[in-house]
Amino acid sequence: MIDALLEGLFLVLQWKAFAFMLLGIGLGFWVGLLPGLGGVTTLALMLPFIYAMKPVEGFAFLLGMHSVVATTGDITSVLFGIPGEGTTAATILDGHAMAKKGEAGRALGAVLASSLVGALVGALALALAVPIVRPLVLAFGSPELFMIAIVGIAFIASLSAQGGRGMLRGFLAGGLGLLVATVGQDPQAGIARYTFDSLYLWGGLDLVPVLIGIFAIPEIIDLVVRGTSIAGDLPKGRLNQGALEGVKDTFRHFWLTIRCSLIGTFIGIMPGLGGAVAQWLAYGHAAQSARSAEERQGFGKGDVRGVLGPGAANNSKEGGALIPTVAFGVPGSSSMAILLGGFFLLGLVPGPDMLTAHLTVTFSMVWTIVLANIITVVVCFLFLNHLARLTVVRGHFLIPVILVLVFIGSYTSNNHYGDVVLMLFFGAVGYLMVAGGWPRAPFVLGLVLGKIVENNLYISVARYETAWLTRPIVLVLMALAVAVVLYPLLQARRSRSRRAEHG
Amino acid sequence: MGNRASLILGVGIMICAGAAVVIAMGWPWKAALFPIVIGIPVFCMAAAEVAWGLLGSGHRGEAMDFQLSEHVPPKIAIRRTLLAIAWMAGFFAAIVLAGFPLAVALVVFLYLKLQGRERWVISIGFTLILWAVFYAIFDRLLHLPFPAGLIQGWTGLG
Repeated sequence: MIDALLEGLFLVLQWKAFAFMLLGIGLGFWVGLLPGLGGVTTLALMLPFIYAMKPVEGFAFLLGMHSVVATTGDITSVLFGIPGEGTTAATILDGHAMAKKGEAGRALGAVLASSLVGALVGALALALAVPIVRPLVLAFGSPELFMIAIVGIAFIASLSAQGGRGMLRGFLAGGLGLLVATVGQDPQAGIARYTFDSLYLWGGLDLVPVLIGIFAIPEIIDLVVRGTSIAGDLPKGRLNQGALEGVKDTFRHFWLTIRCSLIGTFIGIMPGLGGAVAQWLAYGHAAQSARSAEERQGFGKGDVRGVLGPGAANNSKEGGALIPTVAFGVPGSSSMAILLGGFFLLGLVPGPDMLTAHLTVTFSMVWTIVLANIITVVVCFLFLNHLARLTVVRGHFLIPVILVLVFIGSYTSNNHYGDVVLMLFFGAVGYLMVAGGWPRAPFVLGLVLGKIVENNLYISVARYETAWLTRPIVLVLMALAVAVVLYPLLQARRSRSRRAEHG
Repeated sequence: MGNRASLILGVGIMICAGAAVVIAMGWPWKAALFPIVIGIPVFCMAAAEVAWGLLGSGHRGEAMDFQLSEHVPPKIAIRRTLLAIAWMAGFFAAIVLAGFPLAVALVVFLYLKLQGRERWVISIGFTLILWAVFYAIFDRLLHLPFPAGLIQGWTGLG
């Protein structure tokens, strides 16, 4: 085992494999930074280029590219409030709020350090968990996956706003997200739902334009209204001093970072849930870690824990997602499905062989994730101060650049003007949500999980009728859903009575 | 502003959820199950939110999310918000009429000149740099298919 581990490292360090990995990292770096250009699309575009490569070189190239996309996507989210990737939207809530407070350097330091920790945890999980995880994956059927999704929505809806009305809005936003996800051809009967005879809507609403609209448009409007730079009129000296502080934050909240990494890994292992879900669950968990209702009020306004959680989770999920792909040939996400195609192109068959005959190749994947993330984070740190200074560039220079990125980012999802219209429509919805004090996170999670919830609910009912409700893991998850709804209410009540006691 | 936005959103969701349920009732149960199961509670919650807004104490509820700047006087904030919307609508119109490459150059230049009141040299220089980056990445490197605008179609230049 140790021999295979070391051999895997040496294989990646061979000049050709290493050069391909660097090339992949370079591509992934820019794909992550540019909003709308998805890691999945790029992975698919690059697949034909691996034909002539050896397995280790091919995976060094593809995984090197794929595993850094979330890291650099976080940078765009923090600096401009635009999700660089669908999987980095949760970083905006506190990361961009920190940038606006003049703490861009600290936010970037925190998100990069937590991304690295997350990636290492994911890679370690991949190295260790293959023999352990098989029974876990097999124990989770459609009812359990449905309940995980419900827990996720309950989690974020109850934690993303304060008070009874805030919770109502959280659940309403989550429900709206689920409802919006029903647009398009239904998977069971093939009926075109809410498409209004438009061919564009048959495939459902693409996540990228919706995310860009809902997060970027309110930020752009606010930037125009303020008439200043992103960081406002804060003294410039503070900006580039915080990077190290951000790294220290990661270690100050080390267990939170580890827990969020494990959430990301777990969600990565579960088929069909994906990174977009992992980041929101991690964000919810980070918010839950607040000791009091008052402390929780700081989330969304620039609490560094809201950066660490999603930063760690969206990187750790890669290692997790590789586990079922490598061990059972079951891809947990669309990117893993494309990677699975890479296995066959390179003449490998996922399954037991990858844990015996090709164990060194499997370990070379682990090392690729580790090395790619270390290299990316080091390179990012070298340019961190320059990146942070973008937040003091005058608004009228930044706004046209952001507008170009937003319009092209949404258009490139499907190369269709409908994407731009969709982005503008959800931009208006996002603006109303922000102006009205509604949380946007539950809406996004509802939208991401909509298809998964529907499919798993349908399969559960069709296969087990009502008996699925009594399955042990389902019951445990139900209790967890109730607990996450009640917890903030009890916490607020306790906090009120404590305040009353103190006068 | 906050309560009005909340009310618009609440009423909008009520109408959409109600319509979604009514439309779904005409579909086979397999397709209708999920929209109905979700649509009814969403309609009820939206109605509760609207009622809370109309009859309640006016308490906004704190979202764990970013908040719009409040230090700008309301009249100026509304004027600038409408201006931002106009720029975005203008950008979209320019894309449809002139196609992406031309629209990018046009909007960036006009924004710097009219909104930023920058000097000619800076406006033209910045526009050229941004356009060159846009062209190099999206056109030459990624070969993204940007369709010609309507104007090119009408004039036969597309």
